[in-house]
Amino acid sequence: MKKKSSALLLATMMGVSLLSACGGGGDKAGNGTPSASPSASPSAGSSSENTGGSENAGLTGTIRFASWDTGDALKIQQDIAKKFEQSHPGTKVQVEAYADGFDQKLAAGFGAANPPDVMYMWDFPTYHQSLEPLDDFASKDASLNIEDFYSGLFNYGKIDGKLYGIPVGFTTRVVYYNKKLFDEAQVPYPQDGWTWSDFQDIAAKLTDKSKKQYGFGVRASNDTYDLQGFVWSNGSSFISDDGKTIEGYMNSPETAEAIQIFGDLVKNGSGVLVGGKGQQSGEDIFKAGKLAMWESGIWPLGGFKEAGIDIGTVEMPAFPGKPVKGIIAESALSIAKDSKQKELAWEFVKFYVSAEAIKMRTADLPVRVSVVNELKVDQDPLYKPFYMMLERSDNTPAFLLNSKWNEVNRHLEAAVEAVVHGASAQEALNSAVKDGTRYLK
Amino acid sequence: MAKIAPQAATYAATLKPARKRGWGRVSPYLFVFPWLFGFLAFTLGPLIFSLVISFFDWPIVGQVKFVGFGNYVEMFTQDSLFWKSFGVTVKFAALFVPLNIVVALGLAMLLNQNVRGSAFFRTAFYLPSVISGVALAMIWAWVYSGEYGILNFFLSLVGIDGPDWLNDTKWSLVAMVIASLWGQGSMMLIFLAGLKGIPKDLYESASIDGAGRFRQFRSITIPMLSPTVLFNLITSIIAAFQQLTLALVLTGGGPLKSTYFYAMYMYENAFKYFKMGYSAANAWFMFIIVLGLSFLVFKSSAAWVYYEGEIKSGSKTKSGARRRSS
Repeated sequence: MKKKSSALLLATMMGVSLLSACGGGGDKAGNGTPSASPSASPSAGSSSENTGGSENAGLTGTIRFASWDTGDALKIQQDIAKKFEQSHPGTKVQVEAYADGFDQKLAAGFGAANPPDVMYMWDFPTYHQSLEPLDDFASKDASLNIEDFYSGLFNYGKIDGKLYGIPVGFTTRVVYYNKKLFDEAQVPYPQDGWTWSDFQDIAAKLTDKSKKQYGFGVRASNDTYDLQGFVWSNGSSFISDDGKTIEGYMNSPETAEAIQIFGDLVKNGSGVLVGGKGQQSGEDIFKAGKLAMWESGIWPLGGFKEAGIDIGTVEMPAFPGKPVKGIIAESALSIAKDSKQKELAWEFVKFYVSAEAIKMRTADLPVRVSVVNELKVDQDPLYKPFYMMLERSDNTPAFLLNSKWNEVNRHLEAAVEAVVHGASAQEALNSAVKDGTRYLK
Repeated sequence: MAKIAPQAATYAATLKPARKRGWGRVSPYLFVFPWLFGFLAFTLGPLIFSLVISFFDWPIVGQVKFVGFGNYVEMFTQDSLFWKSFGVTVKFAALFVPLNIVVALGLAMLLNQNVRGSAFFRTAFYLPSVISGVALAMIWAWVYSGEYGILNFFLSLVGIDGPDWLNDTKWSLVAMVIASLWGQGSMMLIFLAGLKGIPKDLYESASIDGAGRFRQFRSITIPMLSPTVLFNLITSIIAAFQQLTLALVLTGGGPLKSTYFYAMYMYENAFKYFKMGYSAANAWFMFIIVLGLSFLVFKSSAAWVYYEGEIKSGSKTKSGARRRSS
């Protein structure tokens, strides 16, 4: 009943996934009716394949692989999928690029019991009920070599002690700076171990309004996920460790102080609001040589190099006397519970984190220590701060601590937006706590 | 000849009862069936279904739970965003609806003049309505751009330093209203048709009686056009309350929720937070508000709408309007 009615509700949204399912379904006999009998076929499908294909041999068929990436990053994924098809004859990987509509399309797929077999995943608290626990696969399969992964990465894909995702790429966040602008203003480059007051001084010195040049770009709308590093660095957090309280955490003086920094930068003119509607993104302005510093993950690095900017990277600034903390943005791969070909899906996931595939993934950082050592990624001065920030990233992000975080975050996001537009951080966060607390009960 | 006639008669006689009993009885329903099916499957069905799920906690992924009036209670008593977004929409409607009527009527009257090239202008003013909502919003995103936008360029020509329309809380809603007005060519067309339908002799006799242009407008055009105004008023109100595309594409509800329309709030509840039940409750609230407003407008229309075919001697306003116009 429930499945039928939600299918009706989602009829329009399903269009895309249904079409693509039909397109790929013809290749495999067992996959002829993708959504008709979800309860009967998974057991039949996976058990029969189980016996034949635990050692990679004889696995054939089509799997659907959903990604949120676009452009170059998507191209890499398509290449990896092609490589997989070549090394596994008889298989076909259908890459489905959901892009901005990732959550909607994925949720529609789950709701209609017709999800992609393998998908990109980060929001485990929301989706874990629809995902296949991977502990058995991971422990049985020695060729995965879990020891080789950066140890912290697996924590992000675990809910209630069960593993739902295999990390495939990640990034930490650093401060990029434009060396030329520093040289012109005769300001020494920032060094690891710098503080937020150093940061504010430098931002002020490198601002030259006559040239429309600013010390720092403040995002008009921030992903609060990324701000957690700053809040942790000031010894606070958005939510208590048990995930039950935000009062006294999200609106603590330390949290407010950390968020206020960005509001102050805009107010005193040494930072400029970027990325609002119809405005240039911070990356574009940095590429144009009009921003001295920019805070981000690994993603824009290639673009900055291409634009011919002489960049440096440095660890995040510290609050005096407190250790700097970092945040990891991680992509993982998960397998749908409703998938009819979990063995093949697992084979694909495993291939995706093989050294061969990881080397193809140039858009973010390698998850395997052996690959990093081989390519000497962490020796590159531009990459080094990312790995130093990785060592500092041992806090648990808020969304993993409470499954209702998304809704609390709706109010936190509004508060942060208010702060960068001039509101007092303490007041804005107080009202976000007032509005958000009810979701935690 | 004589032979054929009785044959035809018997043919007709055999056909008639058959039409009533068998095929003929079903065929009208078969003809309406495509519409009926569409109506039941895609309008009435989902409508009722949405009412049902508004009483449930209904995530897409996870367990469905009956909560009674819980969703309604939550949105009225606990959700600050509900009131915030409702306020934004009411403000938008209050600005948009009257302006929309005035602008559409003004344009229609201009186009009703017998000048050369009026066909061209008619096409030109209608053209924006042909463009789909999202494309239109993209165009306005460029027009409004603070630094590179053509609107601020024109303003700078007359010495005005234009605001950053979409990033300034003071102007963002105004920007929405202006962009919405631009695409209302169909309303203008309906007014134009209404204007064309007013008999010329009314104006003629009025001008013989010495009525000026404004007097003619007030005493002939307005009363004669009042049914059209009623129709446009109601469709405007509905359009205002449903406004979503512009906000979604142009501002994303920002800055600082200044353009966070009720429809967008509803949309986010459903497709960002996947709270289908809650969102359905939101939708039903909006449905009732729009229904209520339409009802009020209809009620009030007895006092100000004049139908030509209507013969009501009792109504003072109408006979008054008539007396004035003749």
